[in-house]
Amino acid sequence: MQATAAATSFRGFWRKLQRNRMGLVGLVMLVTAVLVALFAGAIAPYDPKDPVPITIDDIYAAPGGEHLLGKDDAGKDVLSNFIYGSRVSLTVGFFASFISIFIGGVIGIVSGFYGGRVENLLMRFTDIMLVIPDLPLAVVLVALTRPRLSNIIFVIGILGWTGTARLVRSQTLAVKQRKFVLRARAVGAGNWHIIRKHIFPLVLPLIVVNTVLVISLAILNESTLSFLGLADPTAVSWGQMLNYAFTRGATSAGAWWALVMPGFGIVWVVLGCTLLGHGLEQVLNPRLESHHLSAAAPITAARTERLARRDLARGPVLLDVRDLSVDFEVPEGLPVHAVENVSFTLREGEVLGLVGESGCGKTTLMLSLMRLLPAAGRILQGEVNYLGKDLLSLSEQEIADMRWKEIAMVFQGAMNALNPVHTVGDQIAEAIVRHQGARSKAELEERISELLDLVGIGPERKDQYPHQYSGGMRQRAMIAMALSCLPKVLIADEPTTALDVMIQAQILELMSKLREQLGLAIIFVTHDLGVVAEMCDSVLVMYGGVTAEYASVDTIYNVPKHPYTQELLKAFPDLSRPSEKLVAIPGYPPRLDVPPPGCRFAPRCPLVFERCNLEQPRVHRLNGDHLASCHLVEPK
Amino acid sequence: MSMDPIISVKGLRKLFPAGGTSFWRSRARFVHAVDEVTFELGRGEVLALVGESGCGKSTLALTLMGLERPTGGQIVYEGQDVTHLSGTGLKELRRHIQMIFQDPYESLNPMMTIGEIVAEPLAVHRLASNADTRAQRVQQALEDAGLRPAQAFLGRYPHELSGGQRQRVVIASALVLEPIVLLADEPVSMLDVSIRAEILNVLVELRQKRGISILFITHDLSTAAYFADRIAVMYLGRVVEIGPTEQVLKRPRHPYTKALLSVVPVPNPRLRRERIILQGETPNPIDLPSGCRFHPRCPLAEARCREVDPAFVIVGDEHKAACLLLSQDAERAEFVV
Amino acid sequence: MGKRLGWATVTVVFVITLNFFIFRVLPGDPARAGLRDPRLTREAIEAIRVRFGLDKPVINCFESLNPVKFGDCAVNPLQTQFFIYVGNLARGELGVSYHLNRPVQTILVQRLWNTVLLIGAGQILSVLIGIIVGVIAAWKARTSIDYIALVGSLLAWSLPTFWLGIILLFWGSRELGLPIGGKITPGMSFASAKELWWDVGRHMLLPTLTYTIVFLGEYMLIMRSTLLDVLSEDYILTAKAKGLSTFQILKDHALRNAMLPMVTIIALNLGFTVAGAIQIETVFSWPGLGGAIFEAVGRRDYPMLQGAFLLLAVSVILANLIADLLYSYLDPRVQAE
Repeated sequence: MQATAAATSFRGFWRKLQRNRMGLVGLVMLVTAVLVALFAGAIAPYDPKDPVPITIDDIYAAPGGEHLLGKDDAGKDVLSNFIYGSRVSLTVGFFASFISIFIGGVIGIVSGFYGGRVENLLMRFTDIMLVIPDLPLAVVLVALTRPRLSNIIFVIGILGWTGTARLVRSQTLAVKQRKFVLRARAVGAGNWHIIRKHIFPLVLPLIVVNTVLVISLAILNESTLSFLGLADPTAVSWGQMLNYAFTRGATSAGAWWALVMPGFGIVWVVLGCTLLGHGLEQVLNPRLESHHLSAAAPITAARTERLARRDLARGPVLLDVRDLSVDFEVPEGLPVHAVENVSFTLREGEVLGLVGESGCGKTTLMLSLMRLLPAAGRILQGEVNYLGKDLLSLSEQEIADMRWKEIAMVFQGAMNALNPVHTVGDQIAEAIVRHQGARSKAELEERISELLDLVGIGPERKDQYPHQYSGGMRQRAMIAMALSCLPKVLIADEPTTALDVMIQAQILELMSKLREQLGLAIIFVTHDLGVVAEMCDSVLVMYGGVTAEYASVDTIYNVPKHPYTQELLKAFPDLSRPSEKLVAIPGYPPRLDVPPPGCRFAPRCPLVFERCNLEQPRVHRLNGDHLASCHLVEPK
Repeated sequence: MSMDPIISVKGLRKLFPAGGTSFWRSRARFVHAVDEVTFELGRGEVLALVGESGCGKSTLALTLMGLERPTGGQIVYEGQDVTHLSGTGLKELRRHIQMIFQDPYESLNPMMTIGEIVAEPLAVHRLASNADTRAQRVQQALEDAGLRPAQAFLGRYPHELSGGQRQRVVIASALVLEPIVLLADEPVSMLDVSIRAEILNVLVELRQKRGISILFITHDLSTAAYFADRIAVMYLGRVVEIGPTEQVLKRPRHPYTKALLSVVPVPNPRLRRERIILQGETPNPIDLPSGCRFHPRCPLAEARCREVDPAFVIVGDEHKAACLLLSQDAERAEFVV
Repeated sequence: MGKRLGWATVTVVFVITLNFFIFRVLPGDPARAGLRDPRLTREAIEAIRVRFGLDKPVINCFESLNPVKFGDCAVNPLQTQFFIYVGNLARGELGVSYHLNRPVQTILVQRLWNTVLLIGAGQILSVLIGIIVGVIAAWKARTSIDYIALVGSLLAWSLPTFWLGIILLFWGSRELGLPIGGKITPGMSFASAKELWWDVGRHMLLPTLTYTIVFLGEYMLIMRSTLLDVLSEDYILTAKAKGLSTFQILKDHALRNAMLPMVTIIALNLGFTVAGAIQIETVFSWPGLGGAIFEAVGRRDYPMLQGAFLLLAVSVILANLIADLLYSYLDPRVQAE
């Protein structure tokens, strides 16, 4: 968890909270309760302490007339009792929770920060206290001491810190390991400085959210203790009111007002806290709350006129993508134009390199081919023709049938791409069974062993779990799994980015071998120009969501025509020419929700001229197999 | 090689206890993160420390910074033995040796402004207590790191800056103490390709203008080759080859260096070369292979490599490598102390 | 495994010690407090003190606060109250109830089963329903179904258990003619087991419903947030890319992974479960352990209170241990230990 930008400025935080309905409602509910408690004297029609002469009719008198909520067993006005009762409940709630938060916070920070034996001791103690059930212990403690308000506050307070301690400790640990703390140490900062300036400010937001929760628990605990008869008789809280009502025959008297009202008060305050806490958490720790299984948006892809495309006579065309455009919906913002009018073809046995920097849209492009975009993604237009059929026009069931069997994917950083609670063998088997039907156990095992062997993993490892594999091995396992249904196309999204250079060489060698043996076509997504030069036949360079240049690998490296390609090559270190000066491209990638009005690369282009800022260049065909989107190469 | 290195490291060792000690284990096991490393860093020089993950290069940097206590060996700074410094002595040293980290997104506290971040080292060392001097030094550092105009950045927060800008802030906060040595641990690996050159050029400038010595730690040989005067190649906690960049690149002598150089991808599709792809993975640094630690994966390994741990052999001008096969055709074998 | 067992034991020892000392250290001579009968003579009071072992020193040599040399203690340490207490525990004796004048353990063991019955039924229902609603809410995140489920669960969580019980009791007994308390209708004889269980069932309906509603909220919230986390993981995308159907992904990948934290939460919740038991049994006069605590408090029957607390605490500790072991069995990443 991280304290995000929302917490850095109070005004920004306040604004976000206002937009969070739940949090706002909760805040209003709490403030109302506090105001009622503060101004009880002015609001309540009667003072509960005033003695009142009563007759038999006064006991559990029904609501009406002067007594809006009726009378209780002692003939007192329920409404007034209710209003004054808020004082006791809230007082106990707030004070007890402050004790808990203080103890929990200190224990949490000390154990998290200092570690070692101190942490061990404190955490063991916390764990013991956590396991011992709170309420029975509270009951015992309050029963043995005199039931005074201060005792009750104290007991609830010293029993309520365990949750806070654990939370604060784990957050302290998380912050302690962040690089900026290491940096502070490297500068020479002492422990106190680090706690004060780094740890505490980042733990505080969490403590605030937790405080709200602890308050609600303290109020619940107080009301429960009171109900069980352990309240301070001089301070009538809501729980106490319920105790009187319940034990003095309100049920049989049918006096629902004496039973409902006090409970309603407790629920009001606790619910307010809960809603506020939930809202605070959403603001401080925003979670996207949409996931891979969220319902996908319907595709409104329109077929557009054929724009310039590559055309090489070499093997049958497997994949023919035309003018694909993809947007991302952003809550409370403009849609992000992640991919705009991208076209390419992929032939049998071809390796296409998809090159670009972070945010250029390459992963989005790949995910949209098989319609694996998250719910926020929208395919606006284009065609994805696979062996002549447009994948975008297929039904959900049809595309699911084609996934993996025709086009398979290998993701980056396979640590989490494999499910940690299933064996590798099981996950490979799952793919086989899905597309090739159920097999006998022996057949499956044989097939899995074959696949693992193909990628250089011993077959005995199929019963192991992903965490037992090293990084390079996991990537191989992912490749084996991808090949399990003999697809024609393999999409590899940054498959070697996180790996060491030697392991990368092994994986690349493996992929070349597989391509030769199985006739695989591969789309290789990467930002590494060296790998592209080694592996690829053709290259598609993307920038800001659009095609910058698209040509054979030889052309791209030797006669690039788009300024971005040229600059990128100049910025990339070349081991064979180490003394060449590297030239960085100034600036940074464009915002795709508000893209530049003309060419996406214009703000950073060394060859920019006036037209570039006004008009976005089309993709021009230079010769048979070379495309670039730049005004400079526009054919006359 | 200058006769007067600014940092001299001799036989440095850093071992970590490997978990799993219990009643039944009689011998404690250790992770040999840094296992007898010897090298020197000259004044105004850029030395690149290259190796794959697990070779110990980051641990070495942390040990040099005093963020980890060495298990053995010696670190000498400006002629003074600083191996076991602590407390005020260590703090004093930190004014001279500063570090730049890898992750620009994590190295900055998201709740502090840029101005506060760059000023923090001054506060820690109680320098420039006068608000004006402080502001001046902060601005100077930001501008030296290439963030101009410095004024525009002082009040902003890290999340408002791009990756390249953040890394410049990290550099600025290291520069504000006016250090003499910079340890740069993978300063560009998490940045986009087009921005890396920016940061590298900042470091080049710092070396030229201020004469700062830089220990540049990376796994990327291409970047090291661009930037460094000398390259040291590490494997499993040991330096296996060290020498001037051009020599190491053109005439690598250690089999590991040769293999590494042959597989680094080069952005030139017409280049044909023989790739020496080592099989398997780097063994874990707990159970080191006997003899030469590289022998299990070495394509040239002989029987004696399993028994003898090679010492450095001088193979050229300031160029040495630790391989038994070199003693035969080297001019002379020498033990370097 | 041994480690966990060890810690569970330590916790139990801690609880026993705590249990003992609270009752002795806190003010009020239990004998006097329990017997406010003015007719008792001095001798009678003394006899009672001897009978309950209250004449022995609490713990060796700590009777007076004067520092006493260890060797000077004239009393055999095993004769102190603490060890008498521990000895009794080992024999399964929890003392004798002041009020009912019967051994505490016989009373409580009967009640333990009643509590287990009630808690068991309530927990099973709330876990099942909570999981189902949580899964639906996560799957349809950010739609109106999710919103309703969320608010409903927050509301359920905010209800004080005893109050919900009172309201349900009020409504149930007046409108539906359900019994107002107890486990079985007093004075009735039953022709068959089926009739007996039908009667028990009628008595159990409202308390179980209360239980279910109160815990439903929490489980739903946990399941929803856990599942949301799981559904954003990369392996879900892999599963989708493999062409698996949504149902299959939920079943084989998402739920399996999300259940792990649920087990932990259910374990952590056991303390709250017990707190709920006290409240529900009080409101519905259900003859369980929780109700025993309530009655003992009212009558200041300390042996009963002490015994009930101990039994409750030990049950929770044991249940926690079981949940811990279950978790390590389910999570392959933990099995390595």
